[in-house]
Amino acid sequence: MTKNRKLIPWAIAAGVVLIVIAIIYWAEPAGSLPSFFPGHDAGSSHHHFKHGILAFILGVGCFIFAWFQTGPSSRAPAGS
Amino acid sequence: MHPISYLQGAILGALQGIAEPFPISSLGHGVVYPRLLGWNIHQNDDYFLAFLVATHVATAAVLLFMFLDDWKRIVRGLGRSLQAREIAPDDSDARLGWLLVVGTIPAGTIGLLLEHPLRSLFASSASAAAFLIVNGVLLLAFERLRRRPPRPGDYLGDSDARIAKLTWRQAFGVGTAQAAALIPGISRSGITMGSGLLFGLSNEDAARYSFLLATPIIGAAGVLKIPDLLGSAGNGVRGPALLGALCAALTTYVAVKFLLRFFQTNTLTPLGIYCIAFGVFCTLVFAL
Repeated sequence: MTKNRKLIPWAIAAGVVLIVIAIIYWAEPAGSLPSFFPGHDAGSSHHHFKHGILAFILGVGCFIFAWFQTGPSSRAPAGS
Repeated sequence: MHPISYLQGAILGALQGIAEPFPISSLGHGVVYPRLLGWNIHQNDDYFLAFLVATHVATAAVLLFMFLDDWKRIVRGLGRSLQAREIAPDDSDARLGWLLVVGTIPAGTIGLLLEHPLRSLFASSASAAAFLIVNGVLLLAFERLRRRPPRPGDYLGDSDARIAKLTWRQAFGVGTAQAAALIPGISRSGITMGSGLLFGLSNEDAARYSFLLATPIIGAAGVLKIPDLLGSAGNGVRGPALLGALCAALTTYVAVKFLLRFFQTNTLTPLGIYCIAFGVFCTLVFAL
């Protein structure tokens, strides 16, 4: 995997934003979500639990991506 | 009275178990068979969705069980790579694991966002029959456009190492393409197997990749919907759903065993022809 350390802060920021979004999905009913959120439905008391899970997983994915970018540069396979 | 009888549950469960690993669209068959058999069951009915939860969880559990040793190696590989903060070039288990993650994320994302609207839009059995024909044409096209022809002994050696040679972009593409399977009639396993062929895998490797990719998607979709089965939508269908799940588990096991052997010497072509023929048959029956 190609390493690009410049992406680390961006990936962390995206991860934080996505996890905040996940918490909003879990905490707020569809009617109280910001209107630009997928699943916003004025007056609805339904919680988009699965949307929250999705945002959380994507957030964790961003953190994992950032974690890999902090690793050593790629090396050739043994014996090659 | 049960909205789904035990006999219907057993038949639909067995059908789901066969059609899920086969590249012939389990959802499409689940939509057209009730109408062919004259059953008053519709795919968007709450009780039917609750019923499907059980059969999907059973299918995913069997897939997990059948590839348990592979999953253990893959999870250990993921752990190794996280610890080292890199995927060692010779660690095919780790690379395969991350390829599955990269393929699963777009499929899960699109599935969560578009499942309901697409199901509502293409709910009719007539559209499912039409998309079965499209699925058949796709399977034939995948075989026609595959990167390389099948060779004797393709299945020998380390399958995982060959699958792990897919690029990140290819894995992401396969994951995204799976979203087409939200349309009843288009097969998720057909899309993944076909994509594998386009990217240079053999039929057996493509099938194996498809089964590995199916497990987290089907399992997560099923587990997330378990509350539907346990809630009011599941009233009256839990017994038939349990029987359907047992039938689905049995037929999934047989179907996967069969397909892994079938694809050692066969291609997607006969299954494509079947989809076209069955889709045309259903279209004619529904039109009469």
